[in-house]
Amino acid sequence: MPIIETRNLRKVFRSVKRYPGLGGAVRSLFTREYVDKAAVEDVTLAMEPGELVGYIGPNGAGKSTTIKMLTGILVPTSGEIHVAGLVPHEKRKENARNIGVVFGQRSQLYWDLPLQESFELLRAIYAVPRDRYRANLARFSEILALDEFMETPVRQLSLGQRMRGDFAAAMLHDPQIVYLDEPTIGLDVVAKEAIREFIAQINEERGTTVILTTHDLADVERLCNRIILIDDGRVVFDGGIERLRNEYGTHRTLVVTLAENCESFDFPHTELVEREGNLVHLKFDRRRITAEQLIRAVTERCTISDVSIVEPELEDIIRRIYLEGYQHQAQAPAPSS
Amino acid sequence: MSLALPVYRFRLEPYLEFAKKAFAREATYRFEVFTNVGSLILRIYLMRMVWLALYAQNAAPQGIALHQILTYTVIALLMSLILEVDGTRMIREKLREGTIATDFMKPISPALYFFSDGLGQTLLHGILIVPSLLVALLMVHIDVPPPAALAAFAVSFVLGYLVNFMLNFCMNCVAFWTLESFAVQLIVRWCSDLLSGQIIPLLFFPGILQQIVLALPFAAIYSTPLLIYIGKIPPGGYVEALLVQVGWLLVFAAAGTVIWRAAQRRLVVQGG
Repeated sequence: MPIIETRNLRKVFRSVKRYPGLGGAVRSLFTREYVDKAAVEDVTLAMEPGELVGYIGPNGAGKSTTIKMLTGILVPTSGEIHVAGLVPHEKRKENARNIGVVFGQRSQLYWDLPLQESFELLRAIYAVPRDRYRANLARFSEILALDEFMETPVRQLSLGQRMRGDFAAAMLHDPQIVYLDEPTIGLDVVAKEAIREFIAQINEERGTTVILTTHDLADVERLCNRIILIDDGRVVFDGGIERLRNEYGTHRTLVVTLAENCESFDFPHTELVEREGNLVHLKFDRRRITAEQLIRAVTERCTISDVSIVEPELEDIIRRIYLEGYQHQAQAPAPSS
Repeated sequence: MSLALPVYRFRLEPYLEFAKKAFAREATYRFEVFTNVGSLILRIYLMRMVWLALYAQNAAPQGIALHQILTYTVIALLMSLILEVDGTRMIREKLREGTIATDFMKPISPALYFFSDGLGQTLLHGILIVPSLLVALLMVHIDVPPPAALAAFAVSFVLGYLVNFMLNFCMNCVAFWTLESFAVQLIVRWCSDLLSGQIIPLLFFPGILQQIVLALPFAAIYSTPLLIYIGKIPPGGYVEALLVQVGWLLVFAAAGTVIWRAAQRRLVVQGG
């Protein structure tokens, strides 16, 4: 039974139409015309308990709007939505007990209070039993090294420290589900790794269901076994990273080290992308020519000492999907179940 | 897997905790706290000079004697320590920063959260009345009214506080639509300073104007408790005066409820 389920979820925002120029600014003081824009057009998805899903898409694709509907603070224009058996916007407070939320851009800690006191406040808000609270805090301090700044007011924390605090805050009440909205934004490599480690641990130890929204695909590669790709308010891909590579990463690169000089590299379905001394990068379309065929063709013409195959970066694949749009792809993938 | 559905029931603990944290938070701004007391002392001193100068020309207008006006002024300024705290300004700040959504993602009533936070701030600032009063007593003689008047004053002060709190709450909620309600706030504050009787007793307004300002809701904030204190509202008038305050409180509480509902609706439809 899925813990999160949406069907044809849609959210339309109404905004005031703006007119260009200074005259337009004056005009918009007195007249009001509205434009409707669907931030989420049609999102159908289902997640099982314990899944760790990357929810990605370009800016303005509708990621945050979806998350807000899942948290119950935004009412969908149409469609169905169930989170842990509840309709979030009808049972906002009950739903709030089941979820934890981390926003990379906004803290939910209390700005003027030491971190410790923010945690105590959250304990009271969620009615966390004392022993559970102590055990959780001890565990989180261990993974996130919170002890060194437990007594520091939140406003004096560095971004990395604050984010660590925010993660602990979101997990104190043992939520079944956590929504992470760009949790690693602006962090240095070390802090990023600490956060990723924490997400992986929590997911594994507690079976917490995680939806991770991010622009840093390294987060996704490190953590998620499933990606939901959204563009213009629609799900354009839903499946494993491997499937994404297979379906969209049609080009690979063969890197050849030449033993002797060789000049001609015009092989079928292959493009010479880079040549650096005796190192040659050949990009080939693996739907048309196999690596084995290409290597044989190269060795027939040149003497080589080494070969390797470079898989396309996830980032390149996703960039291609954003740029070209999903409908132009060779075969539109059916969403996996 | 079976999911146990949690049932939401009201718990007081989070709100007590919010009030405590607000109290602690205000206390961390020590400099602000001390300048607050300092500026109050200065204002008492200046107002005393002003009234002494004015009364030297004109004896007891409206039957308010010099000792009464000085008492009125000092008590008004001491009350302002609490009444000038805009306990729900956080709503405005959170709307501007876009962080209000996180409060709606918690299993609490955000309105009650803002109220408890305001209460915590009030208590901290309320404590400042004691040292301010002691310093004020060194400069000015303050009348102490009979116990009945003192009791009526206390009740009236609490009612005035609540009217003021709800008025501010309504103003702060305007920011749900405009994002910025500082201008509205400023206008209301000016009106309230002048028309509530904080600076000069409303009895000093001439003729018809006096009738009007006494009928406005601002009078329920400072004027009513102060006039009870200095005896310008006699014991026979207590019940009526307090009932008028209760009436205004109900009006603003109703307005606050309507505005808050609409604000919530706007938030869930239009996003935070």
